[in-house]
Amino acid sequence: MGMNILTIALGAILMNNFIFSQFLGCCPFLGCSTKVDTAVGMGIAVTFVMGLASAICYAVNLLLVALGLDYMSTLAFILVIAVLVQFVEMFLKKSIPSLYTALGIYLPLITTNCAVLGVVLLNVQNDYNFIESVVYGVTGGLGFMLAIVLFATVRDRLQFADYPESFEGFPIALTTAGLLALAFMGFSGMSIV
Amino acid sequence: MSIKQQFKEGLITNNPVLVQRIGMCSTMAITTTLFNGIGMGLSVLIILTCCNVAISALRKAIPNDIRLAIFVVVIAGFVTIVDLLLQAFIPALSASLGVFIPLIVVNCIIIGRAEAFCQHEPVIPSFWDGIFQGFGYTVVLVAMCLIRELLGSGTFGTGVFEIVNGALSVSFDGSAAGIRIFPENFGATILIMPFGGFLTLACLLALMQYALRKSAEKKERAARAAKVEIPAPAGVKEAAE
Amino acid sequence: MTETKKTRGMNPIVRLALILFAVSAITSGVLGLVNGFTADRIAEQQRLKTEAAYNAVLPSESGYTEVAFDAEAFPTVDKLSSAGDAGWVVELTFSGAQGSITAAFGVSSDFVITGASVIDHAETSGLGAKITEPDFLESLVGQSEGMAVTKDGGTVDAITAATISSRAMANAGNTAIAACRALG
Repeated sequence: MGMNILTIALGAILMNNFIFSQFLGCCPFLGCSTKVDTAVGMGIAVTFVMGLASAICYAVNLLLVALGLDYMSTLAFILVIAVLVQFVEMFLKKSIPSLYTALGIYLPLITTNCAVLGVVLLNVQNDYNFIESVVYGVTGGLGFMLAIVLFATVRDRLQFADYPESFEGFPIALTTAGLLALAFMGFSGMSIV
Repeated sequence: MSIKQQFKEGLITNNPVLVQRIGMCSTMAITTTLFNGIGMGLSVLIILTCCNVAISALRKAIPNDIRLAIFVVVIAGFVTIVDLLLQAFIPALSASLGVFIPLIVVNCIIIGRAEAFCQHEPVIPSFWDGIFQGFGYTVVLVAMCLIRELLGSGTFGTGVFEIVNGALSVSFDGSAAGIRIFPENFGATILIMPFGGFLTLACLLALMQYALRKSAEKKERAARAAKVEIPAPAGVKEAAE
Repeated sequence: MTETKKTRGMNPIVRLALILFAVSAITSGVLGLVNGFTADRIAEQQRLKTEAAYNAVLPSESGYTEVAFDAEAFPTVDKLSSAGDAGWVVELTFSGAQGSITAAFGVSSDFVITGASVIDHAETSGLGAKITEPDFLESLVGQSEGMAVTKDGGTVDAITAATISSRAMANAGNTAIAACRALG
């Protein structure tokens, strides 16, 4: 049991990193990574929402399966996530306004972050139990945070780099992300036995 | 806006992936075989067109405050319908795309078009917008697939084309082996891996930026050549003096 | 004046909730209809796929009868069916490189793999997904206990750049044989 949890956790952070191996959550990854501070904030917000969403959607899925309505799961999950993000937004606005202003437009965009819906759908697909789901959600979020913070620090140095003019902006950012993905491939095949 | 103009926007000047830079997750994730690319592109095209029409038809009834919630419900509905139909009729595609079919719900292309276009425009232009934007997306996916598949594994059209007894056969159940262009061992397998997704998209984006910049420069040069006839705007004159 | 303002302030929330509710209700209704129309077909497709996989790994004229096995010792085994005197078909779900793989293995009565077939998987198309191709599946045929991919010193031809998926399949083959042996 403990081994299983550890496998899931390390898999989500390193071997099957949400961004570098599964391409889930690329929009905020590319959009919110120009400053390290914002990247950390975004990472925390996503981790929080992913953990909570995993827990709540586990219950929602049990309910849907019991009612024989599992074909409605995508619709139900996205609604749960949308409401959840709304609550997180309200909470941040009240208690940590500085983080709220820093995350700006990207907070409502967590709703349409494919990493969040992705983790919930993968939990169902992989038949994870409650604990495994929450662990996968939280560590998936941590993996996202690791990726986005690493990327933000690299991107900081890009302004001193000399690259072809046509690569200005997104293309050079994507190339950098690709090189990071290449580095993360080194983790694939690791196993804890 | 004319249909011709919308077509040009969807395909080139306002291409969802290359210019608006939305919907990139799926663009990089599933473009490893032609079968996936065409399947995903057409699924998005159909869902986008349906959502555009539905949202545009309902645009007067949708209150501004909860428009996003309603968009999400409508989109999730259409995505689930397409998901169920694929599972029932093209199970190979549904198995191959896996979690990325339900994830179309959060593909920014659909909610982006709803927000930017359909909530202000009538049904007919919204319909064409869905078709052309979806087509622009499909074209980029197919281009990515062709590049990655050819350079990565040396084949063309895995899952769609196949040579049987010397004749070209086209099928869409995902079982076709593809046409081998060069031996598998010569391929740069890295292009099929995540790194290849990032790199191929980066190159396509750079190519697009190059083309757009060149055409802008050309226009500028043409404008400068015609400057004799056209009086310069006041601001420019002052700056020159 | 204040009264109209109040009712205006109240009404919109109720109105918004009603509109959202109506849209959700209509969507759910349509989904229910589509599901009613496709559910049987999806189940049928799934059944056909499993049946085809069973027939591919160990053809049996007498059909397959499920037998009880030690689920504690073999957690990855979903189903173990006897195919008469010929042997058994084992259905397993295990993790590959990207997600779960569900596969059927045919095991002969002298504990040799007679065939393997992948029922469901989430491996990358063009890479790990090649575990579904005959080239790879045939290299599993004839393997017995302790099989391993060539990289690990065995004789199963691993797919280029998809060692993890290939290794997972070889391990599943070992589990399948072990589960049959444990039947006694």
